[in-house]
Amino acid sequence: MKVILIAKAVLVDITKCIGCGSCSVACKLWNDLEFDDSRPTVGVEAQLNDVNWTAVQRHDVQSKDSPQALWRFVKQQCLHCLEPACASACFSKALQRNDSGAVVYYPDLCVGCRYCMIACPFNIPKYEWKKTFPLVTKCQMCSTKTASGEAPACVSVCPTMALKYGERSALLKEARQLVNTNHLYIKEIYGEYEVGGTSWLYISDVPFEQLGFKTDVGTKPLPSYTHNFLKYTPFLAIGWGMFLTGLSFYTKRRNKITSQKQADDDNKETTSRKSESTEETNNENL
Amino acid sequence: MNSQDKKPGFLSRRNFFKLIGGTGVAGAAAITAGCSKAPAGGTGWLPQQYHTASHWPVQVKGRVPIDISNPSIARDDRKCILCGQCIEVCKNTQTVFGYYDLPLKNDIICTHCGQCAMWCPTAAITERDDVNKVVKALDDKNTFVVVQTAPATRIALGEEFGLSLGSNVEGRQVAALKKLGFDAVFDTGFTADLTIMEEASELIKRLKEKTTLPQFTSCCPGWVKFCEYYYPDFIPHLSTAKSPQQMLGTLTKTYYAEIKGINPNNIISVAIMPCTAKKFEAQRPEMATNRNLRDVDIVLTTREIARLIKMRGLDITTLEEAQYDNLLGESSGAGMIFAATGGVTEAAVRTAHYLATNEPPPEPLLSFTAVRGLKGVKEASIEIPGLGHLNVAVCHGLKNARIILDKLRSGEASWDFIEVMACDGGCIGGGGQPRTALPPSDKVRTSRIAGIYNIDKKDRTRLSYENEEIQLVYKNFLVRPLSDIAEELLHTHYSDRSEHLITKKNYSLNEGDSNS
Ligand code: SF4
Ligand code: SF4
Ligand code: SF4
Ligand code: SF4
Ligand code: SF4
Repeated sequence: MKVILIAKAVLVDITKCIGCGSCSVACKLWNDLEFDDSRPTVGVEAQLNDVNWTAVQRHDVQSKDSPQALWRFVKQQCLHCLEPACASACFSKALQRNDSGAVVYYPDLCVGCRYCMIACPFNIPKYEWKKTFPLVTKCQMCSTKTASGEAPACVSVCPTMALKYGERSALLKEARQLVNTNHLYIKEIYGEYEVGGTSWLYISDVPFEQLGFKTDVGTKPLPSYTHNFLKYTPFLAIGWGMFLTGLSFYTKRRNKITSQKQADDDNKETTSRKSESTEETNNENL
Repeated sequence: MNSQDKKPGFLSRRNFFKLIGGTGVAGAAAITAGCSKAPAGGTGWLPQQYHTASHWPVQVKGRVPIDISNPSIARDDRKCILCGQCIEVCKNTQTVFGYYDLPLKNDIICTHCGQCAMWCPTAAITERDDVNKVVKALDDKNTFVVVQTAPATRIALGEEFGLSLGSNVEGRQVAALKKLGFDAVFDTGFTADLTIMEEASELIKRLKEKTTLPQFTSCCPGWVKFCEYYYPDFIPHLSTAKSPQQMLGTLTKTYYAEIKGINPNNIISVAIMPCTAKKFEAQRPEMATNRNLRDVDIVLTTREIARLIKMRGLDITTLEEAQYDNLLGESSGAGMIFAATGGVTEAAVRTAHYLATNEPPPEPLLSFTAVRGLKGVKEASIEIPGLGHLNVAVCHGLKNARIILDKLRSGEASWDFIEVMACDGGCIGGGGQPRTALPPSDKVRTSRIAGIYNIDKKDRTRLSYENEEIQLVYKNFLVRPLSDIAEELLHTHYSDRSEHLITKKNYSLNEGDSNS
């Protein structure tokens, strides 16, 4: 187990988010991700996918105080678990939690097995279905930017301070203080304990389950459930690695063909966005 | 696609070894060592201000929220560089962004003024592009497509064709529109005169009855929505007169259709405006008088009509001047100066003087300098025989409106008539006007304003009530200002929008920098 020097975190105050999409543009600019009008990053239809590492989803929440539904925007991205299931599922160590708490993906190490996608309780890692040599993608918590003391790109551009970067313990303290003294908030900090705690923390005035958050993930770190024996068997890993490299080449080819087919099908349908991939239709939850 | 791509290919021996050789050796080394190469991401760029240690504040950051259903403006994310200029103008010039408390309720607060589009350096924010709708209407042989042009477009459209600031292309604009295939070309200046007839009559009525004074102008839809959001208590003070754009739309589908024997269902009414908020105004539910037909169907900004003209290969500078069509095509100088801040007030006062005294206004009212120019808040006091002392205030830029309204609310000041234009300089500086240096400068505004007052000085009558087509429309159709039919067709109502936001209570406006 690695020693974490200073665990950093981002506190998201859902009550302050105005859905401006500055964060999602910053993420695309900084990470050089494709802009695609058919896959919006803000609004009711916004979803995470291989080019949207973050998405600001609008939820219309019924409230007893107002006849009309309230709009709440929820910025989604990888939660950067303190004990990431994705990383422990990855035998080739393409996903690693770094010293400041970011769960970082190293594409050169990835063999394309996509175990991480299955392991992640929040359905975060996405696959580049449309590419010839697809990789897994997800929010990196801007690990190279934060390495020089800067905030993640999305945090640094947020005009309302809905996002705040800092030490996890300090942010938790601040959040606790806020939800306990300000009646606007529900008395809960999402990410404090979920799956053993995450580096992205959320506070809100609306119960989290009404905002598409997964609230049934428990507080036990998920890696303890996964087959992490691979970690201790590097020799086996090499063998596995070679086998899976071959396997991944095969899968990549197959996927290319599948996605080609899908693209063909999509052209026939008008609702192409919805049927892009099975992965993306069921990720309404964080 | 050839058939080879369709079936899973077999892994050749060569490729297999290449892969194992690549990922296998390097990868396995990395796997066992637990080290790695470059992490994903971080290969792009961000503006400089965002590269600073996280504990320092960033001065200019982020961007305004724009709802996907905003009828006036739209943004192309690909072009947004997160420069923060849109927030700068929306917050500090318009006092819209940041003047509501969070959380949001159920609206992205926007007055549709389009100033953010003027300030956006990359034109990521633009008007919502409706050019294709007009192209479609013009192509449809079964429709009668009517177009109107606002006073302010004629002194700005030329800029899009290389003419100097403030050039008047009124006749050439009409010619271009006729060449594009519009069936009739009308002047919104005509209904500006009509607005003055109604609004001045309304003012005199309020002054005589001493009710709900001051009266606010209501021809700027950005200002109207601002009032509905932030100052709903003043809604009764808004003149009920529709804006010139909407009046012209209404008359097209009633008065004009009747005289010409055209089925109003077959009329498409297009408006060329300096303004993005006019797109919003045209689709307000209140703006459908005649048998649920929209008064105005499509609104194009000056920029959009310039694009359409260019698309068709027409060079406006070389066109022979043409005339507006009859019935809704004549306008006075008073109608023209609607385009500049202070113009509506000046026009209204000229006609109010006549309506109250039956005498033409004296010379000073024909050059009412106190309300002209780019000062943020202008005040004047005039004497109209029979009506007494009239205190007027004129402002442009919504921050200046806030200054006036807050004084009014607190009882610090009182006026009888208040003109508000959402955009700096008035409609000549509207959010749909040709793009100029960023941010828009007073030099541009001054030149355009000069262009407008030149028109007022020159050719025509300078008094709305002397406009012959105005006299005709009252004689043959509307009877007189504020008649039942005028009330029905030319007046409207407003809706309180304050329930869609939590209005900020405490803010301080720095009056000093409220526009030069
Ligand atoms: S949220 Fe999913 S992808 Fe992100 S660190 Fe946790 S397990 Fe990994
Ligand atoms: S932390 Fe970086 S990678 Fe993650 S969502 Fe924000 S900008 Fe994107
Ligand atoms: S930048 Fe901030 S306010 Fe804007 S959408 Fe992102 S989190 Fe919300
Ligand atoms: S149109 Fe006007 S009110 Fe709306 S966002 Fe732009 S500047 Fe702000
Ligand atoms: S002004 Fe334009 S480029 Fe700058 S932040 Fe706003 S939308 Fe983006």
